[in-house]
Amino acid sequence: MIEKALKGSRNYWLWIGLLLLCIAAGFSAFSRQMWEGLTVTGMGRDVSWGVYIAQFTFLVGVAASAVMVVIPYYLHNQKAFGKTVIIGEFMAVAATIMCMLFILADMGRPDRVLNVLLYPSPHAMVFWDVMVLNGYLVINIVSAWAVLGAERKGVPPPAWVKPVIYLSIPWAFSIHTVTAFLYAGLPGRHLWLTAVLAPRFLASAFAAGTSLLILVTLILKKTAGYDAGNEARQKLAVLAAYAGAANFFMIGTEFFTAFYSNVPAHMHGLQYLFFGLEGKSALVPWMWISVIAGIGSLVVLLNPKLRQKTGWLMAACGGMVLSIWIDKGVGLILGGFVPSPLEEIVEYSATFTEMTVTLGIWAVGILVLTMLLKVAVTVKKEQEA
Amino acid sequence: MTLIKKIVLTAAGLLIMAFAGIYAFRYEESSAEKPAAAAGAADSSACIASKEYMKANHMRVLGEWRHSSVREGNRVHVAPDGRKIEKSMNTCLNCHSSNRMFCFNCHMYANVKPNCWNCHISPMEAP
Amino acid sequence: MNEDRRSFMKKAGIGLLAGIGSAAGLFPALSLEKTVFPAWDEKPEPGKYRWGMLIDTRKCSGNCKECVAACHFTHNVPDFGNRKDEVKWIWKSSYENVFPTASNQFQSPEVTERPYVALCNHCAEPPCTKACPTEATFRRWDGIVSMDYHRCIGCRFCMAACPYGSRSFNWRDPREGIKLASTDYPTRMQGVVEKCNFCSERLVKGLDPACVKACPEQALVFGDLNDQDSEIRRILESVETMQRKPELGTKPSVFYII
Repeated sequence: MIEKALKGSRNYWLWIGLLLLCIAAGFSAFSRQMWEGLTVTGMGRDVSWGVYIAQFTFLVGVAASAVMVVIPYYLHNQKAFGKTVIIGEFMAVAATIMCMLFILADMGRPDRVLNVLLYPSPHAMVFWDVMVLNGYLVINIVSAWAVLGAERKGVPPPAWVKPVIYLSIPWAFSIHTVTAFLYAGLPGRHLWLTAVLAPRFLASAFAAGTSLLILVTLILKKTAGYDAGNEARQKLAVLAAYAGAANFFMIGTEFFTAFYSNVPAHMHGLQYLFFGLEGKSALVPWMWISVIAGIGSLVVLLNPKLRQKTGWLMAACGGMVLSIWIDKGVGLILGGFVPSPLEEIVEYSATFTEMTVTLGIWAVGILVLTMLLKVAVTVKKEQEA
Repeated sequence: MTLIKKIVLTAAGLLIMAFAGIYAFRYEESSAEKPAAAAGAADSSACIASKEYMKANHMRVLGEWRHSSVREGNRVHVAPDGRKIEKSMNTCLNCHSSNRMFCFNCHMYANVKPNCWNCHISPMEAP
Repeated sequence: MNEDRRSFMKKAGIGLLAGIGSAAGLFPALSLEKTVFPAWDEKPEPGKYRWGMLIDTRKCSGNCKECVAACHFTHNVPDFGNRKDEVKWIWKSSYENVFPTASNQFQSPEVTERPYVALCNHCAEPPCTKACPTEATFRRWDGIVSMDYHRCIGCRFCMAACPYGSRSFNWRDPREGIKLASTDYPTRMQGVVEKCNFCSERLVKGLDPACVKACPEQALVFGDLNDQDSEIRRILESVETMQRKPELGTKPSVFYII
């Protein structure tokens, strides 16, 4: 079936070529990082995680959001999602692969990555994260491929697929919960030390991941002539809107607890992110763009008339993805490090090398997604014909 | 269908291989033969084991020493002849001190690049 | 890598010349640390000792840096001269940085303006070891929170977990930042985390930690917190002391007399 990814139009191959170019650039930047050390990144003693871990966090959310199509289609038998479910699952596969690559890129000694399996440490959340992410990758690729293969042959999917798909539902929740636990259990990082982090991660994931899925279906409609259907998109838009509302509600509760209690350590992270602390305010514009884009998108997505118009829908979904990408992919990780446990304020900004590696990893993920979707669309079209 | 089966089987096979590999490796590490008391102890009386044994297994000895001294705090190696020796790479180096190239001669010849000297001060670097 | 190694050899004032020299009998053979057979005969009993340190900040009020210099030389801690790549095991900082949650309202300026020594607290409940996915950092039989540099994958979870900023990462090859190398202790390699080890390599020889020995004011007291008759326990019981961020429940083994 994979051979179907090798036949495409000129534009398809141009797109693949562009992605390969980005991957090559990323790889060369990564080699430099391997050679000279992580000193080539913007990270340092005080802000010891940066754009890599932030992208990882955002992408775990994208991966988890596949349940937003799996649940309605497989649990509630909503036929409208029939054509989007495979897109959601393949997006989860691509996102999970990117997550793993971002972790590898962030490691000081990626050559020793197998130590995590050689010396399993159940007390460490990273160990569990590695387990659940790998499991999630296998579950999604196996179930999606099996269903697609059966469809190609015009037979019902094998019986073992159903339980695997059902398993993927709690598993999706687990990956993002464990990812939140990576941060939420660390003493002395007050922005993260909150029980609401895991629910907030899930809410923001379902908002951003679902919006991204809507955008992918629109792109497929335009480029591949494969329409997942407006009904599915509308239902997804509603899901994204409610998830987004839940996310912003939880951000609001964080503000209340921190500022009403007036405990300095609880306020510092939010103060730095949204208002600046002791004159350091590099992230303030980012965070307000995130808030404005997020609330604006929410209003559009909640309005049935506006979200019916493709232009508005695209803008709203784009706004939602941007908002949560900034919230998780920029603010959350850096805000945990500023101020430092010694109350010092050292700001971080990504370097060119770091951004190139990031671009390369995104390109790998998009390449995987493009090829998987190429297979899926070709099979679906053959069936329709 | 067959393709799915193939994928599942390949994935399962790879998993089994990975785990088998990991555990075989661990098994090998933990069941490493202890330096034998009898063979060749006479012609290299200063060393903890025979030349032949050390030639073949010095990395295993160092690995075991590393584990038990760093992680368990057991820093004393009891040689077959009852001598007590500190489990330290410096024990080896201070004894094999007549030739700075002691480690490197062989390693260069065999083109092996142990990463010991990334951190430990090698005989070549010691004043 | 070879290039780096060569420059390191040059910096440490050695190189092939020394090798040839020693072969010709000009230099004595290796001058690596001699291994001696000390008193620590058996495998240690876990939990018997708990090493701790007491810092009398009333005595430690000057701007001297003997403890820092001794530690960083002894352990080959690199110095790159910039904050981003900084590696440190022990350092002096201000009252509000070392004790950010302690009261400083109406505190005497003499107290708030004094420098304070900070180092790894060797917590009895260390959050860093819990976060480590490979047990590369672990709490030893004698209470020391130790690093196994051979195993560290450089994920920096321990750095995020440590509430005291006691851990440093080797963002680059540390050998480039060592001006004067000590041959008694290894360096680290690029890509691993490092921190104070309470001089475990000196403790096995029955010596006090390098910082304790170097302090000209005898402001640092080192000893076994599990031994009721030890000097450190006697002082702890007779004077009021404090730990850093005790509210986090990490149970630091480093105490301060303010």
